[in-house]
Amino acid sequence: MTPKARGEAPGKLVIAAQNCRGCRSCQLACSFEKVGAFNPGRSMIVMERNLSDGRAAPMIKPIGCDLCGGEPACAKACKYGAITYEAEASEERIVVRLWNREGS
Amino acid sequence: MTRPASWIVRVDLSTGSVDRAPVDDAVNREYLGGSGVGWKLVADALPPGIDPLSPENIICINPGVLVGTLTPGTPKTTVITKFPTQASEDGKHFIGACTAGGRYLGVALKRAGCHHLLITGKAEKPSFLRIRDQSIDLVDASEYWGGGIEDVMVDLVEREGPESGTIVIGTSGENLVRHALTIVDRANSLGRGGLGAVMGSKNLKAIVVNGTGDIEVADPRRFIETSERLRDYVMQWPRREHWIDLGLAAGWSTFKHTQYPGIWPKDRWDELYGEETRMETVEDVIGCNSCILGCRLRWKTKGGQFDGEVGFGSPFSKSATSGMLLGEEDFRRMIHFVADANARTGIDFYTTTRIIDFVTKMYEIGRLNSSQTGGLELSRDYETYAKLYEMTVQREGFGDVLADGWMRLKRDFGLDPQEYWYAGICKGVDFIYDARPSNFHPLMMTFTTRPRPHHGGSHTRTNSRNKTIEEIREQVECWGLERKTIDRVFTESDYSGKFNVGRYTRYMEDMMRVKNAIGLCTIYTYQGLLFGGDIAELYSAATGHEMTALAMVTCGERIHNVAKMINVREGFSRVDDAIPDVWFRPMESPEGRIEMQDYYETKTLTKKDTDKILDDYYEERGWDPRTGRPTVARLEALGIEESASELAA
Repeated sequence: MTPKARGEAPGKLVIAAQNCRGCRSCQLACSFEKVGAFNPGRSMIVMERNLSDGRAAPMIKPIGCDLCGGEPACAKACKYGAITYEAEASEERIVVRLWNREGS
Repeated sequence: MTRPASWIVRVDLSTGSVDRAPVDDAVNREYLGGSGVGWKLVADALPPGIDPLSPENIICINPGVLVGTLTPGTPKTTVITKFPTQASEDGKHFIGACTAGGRYLGVALKRAGCHHLLITGKAEKPSFLRIRDQSIDLVDASEYWGGGIEDVMVDLVEREGPESGTIVIGTSGENLVRHALTIVDRANSLGRGGLGAVMGSKNLKAIVVNGTGDIEVADPRRFIETSERLRDYVMQWPRREHWIDLGLAAGWSTFKHTQYPGIWPKDRWDELYGEETRMETVEDVIGCNSCILGCRLRWKTKGGQFDGEVGFGSPFSKSATSGMLLGEEDFRRMIHFVADANARTGIDFYTTTRIIDFVTKMYEIGRLNSSQTGGLELSRDYETYAKLYEMTVQREGFGDVLADGWMRLKRDFGLDPQEYWYAGICKGVDFIYDARPSNFHPLMMTFTTRPRPHHGGSHTRTNSRNKTIEEIREQVECWGLERKTIDRVFTESDYSGKFNVGRYTRYMEDMMRVKNAIGLCTIYTYQGLLFGGDIAELYSAATGHEMTALAMVTCGERIHNVAKMINVREGFSRVDDAIPDVWFRPMESPEGRIEMQDYYETKTLTKKDTDKILDDYYEERGWDPRTGRPTVARLEALGIEESASELAA
C-alpha cells in the first residue's frame, strides 16, 4: 500500500513517557496506518530503549507525522496513556509532558 | 487472497552454512504456521535417540503467526528442542516446546524473515549468532563466555541497535547444568528443562536478531477491525487496573491458596510474602510486544542484605513458595536468587531451590551424609542455600550432582524424587503447582500428559478456584466443539466430579498448541478475554486461510499428535505419564489436612480415580489407553501418514 495523503489536523499529540510500558503498539499502529503493514522501522515513532533501567519511551519524528488527519493511530493504540491526542487547535503538534507517577 | 510468505532458515553451526526455504502452503494449512510448522520440521529432521547435548540436537525457534501485529497479547516465540533433563531412570529425554514473550525478539525474527529458525551443529569456539535480515553470521563470543546474561544482552543491544531481540544464556548454560534456561530480551525466561544447556553444548552464548522487513497480513482492513474490537474488549476487563499496577503479583489472592506449600499458616505467609510486601519493591510493570495487560516487573529491593538490587522478570510467586519450603522468612533474600538467575546465571530457580530443599532436608534426617556431599555439611540456612546454588551453577563438587537434576540424586544416593514433598515430579521435571492445594484440574493433568511437563499456554479458568461450571464450559464451547463432545466432557462421574478432567484436558492441550502457534499469551484466554472464535477471525484475516475455531483445534490436535509421536519414538508411554506419588499423600498443614480433591472439592481422589481419568484422556484422544500412545487410526484420520506407518511398523 502507498502512504496516505491527508489534510492538516489542528490538535496535538501529548507524550507522557513515564506511562509507557514498552509494548510498542504505537509503532505497529502507526506503520499499519501509513503503509498497511506492521513495521516499527517504518513508523513515525522511535522507541527509546534505556538499557540501564529497562524502560522504553516513544519519541515521534516531527517531520512526516500528519497526526493521521486528526485521528492518530498511535494514540488510539496506546492503552497506557503514554500517547494521547488533544483535538483543540494548537500551535505545537507534539508535546512532551512530564509528571510524577501519581499523576499530579 | 495470498498468505504472506513464511520462511525456514537452517543454520549449521559446525559448518557455518545457512539455507533458506519457503514453507509449503499445504504445511501451513495443516499446521497453522509458527510452532505448529516447527513441530513438523523437527519431526522430519531430528534423528531419534540422540544425546540432547550433542551437535545433532536441533533448536527450532518459531515466532507466532500473529507476532508483530496489533493483536492484543501475541508476543510469543516458541522453541522446540530435545531437553537435557533426565526424564526417566532408563535415560530417556523428552522433546518439548517452551514459550516466551518479550518486547523485541519475536518481532525482530519476523522482520528478518526467520519464521522458523533451525539451529544444528556445534560452533568451534564460543560464538553468538548474529542475524541482520538475510545476513546471518556466527561471531566470536570469547569475550562473552563466562559473562552474565544481562551484561551480554546490554552489550549486544549497544552493538546491534535498540530494536535487537536477544536470547542469551548464563554461566549455568555454559556449564551444561541440565536445568539451565535462557533469557529473552530482559524480563522473560525461556526453556525450563534445559534449553540453556542445549545452547551451551553448541558453544552458542547468544542469538541477536534485527530485521527491517514488513509484517504483512492478508486482509488488512478485516484484520485491523477485528484487532481493534478485541483490544477495546480487553480494556473493559474490570481487573485491568489492578493488574497493570502489580503485574503477575496481582494473582496473590488466588495463588496463596492454590500454591500453598503447607508449612506456615497462610496469615504468616501473607505477612512475609503477600501483596503489601510485594508492592514495596515494584518499580515498573513491563509489557511484552502488543500486550495491553503488561505483567513482567522491574523491581528494586529496599533494605536488608540486598538493598538496592534491581531485578527483571516475575519474582514473587516463585520466591513465595520456595521461601516457605526453605523456611526463609526474608523475601528479599529469595528474590535475590531470582534476580541473579535472570541477570547472571540463567539457572532455573524452581528446580534449583527445590533440589536444595530436598537434599538439605535429607541431610538433616540422616538420609544423606558428608561423605556423599564431598565433605560438605548441609544446614537448613540461607548461607548453605546460597553456597549450593553457586556450586550447582559452577558444577563444583557436590554441585555437579545437583546440576544433573532429580534423577541423578536417585541414581547416586537412592533419593527418589517421588519422595519430595511439594508439587510433584514427572519426567524428571518438578512442577510449579501442587494438585493438593490446587485441586485436580486440567492444568494439573497436562503436567503429566504433556511431553514436556510445564504449563506454557495451557491455563484455563479452572486455574482459579470456584469458577462456575458455566464459565468452565464457555472456555471450550467458544472453540466451537460439537455438542456431543461438550456433553461428554461435562458428564458428572464419581471419580472426576462435575466435569471430566481427562476429557477436558485433551481440548485444553490442543488449544494450547493453537495459542503457541499464533503466539498468543495464555493470560488472555485464561482470564476469559479472548476466545476461539476471535482467534479464528484474526487468524483468517492475517493468513487468508479461512479457519473456524474448531478447524484450528483440529490443527492443534494434529500438532499435538506429531509432538507425541516424536516422544513415542524415544520410548515414552503411559508409565511416564504417572501422577506424582506426593499428590496422594495428605499435606498436613497448620491450616489442617489438605488432600487432592476434584475441582469442586466433593471428594478426595485416589489412584484408582486418577487412573480412570487418565483412561478417559487417552480415549478422548483416540489413543490406546493401555500404552498411552496414539493409534494408527487416529494418526491416519489426522493425515499424519509418516507417523502412522512408523507406528504400524
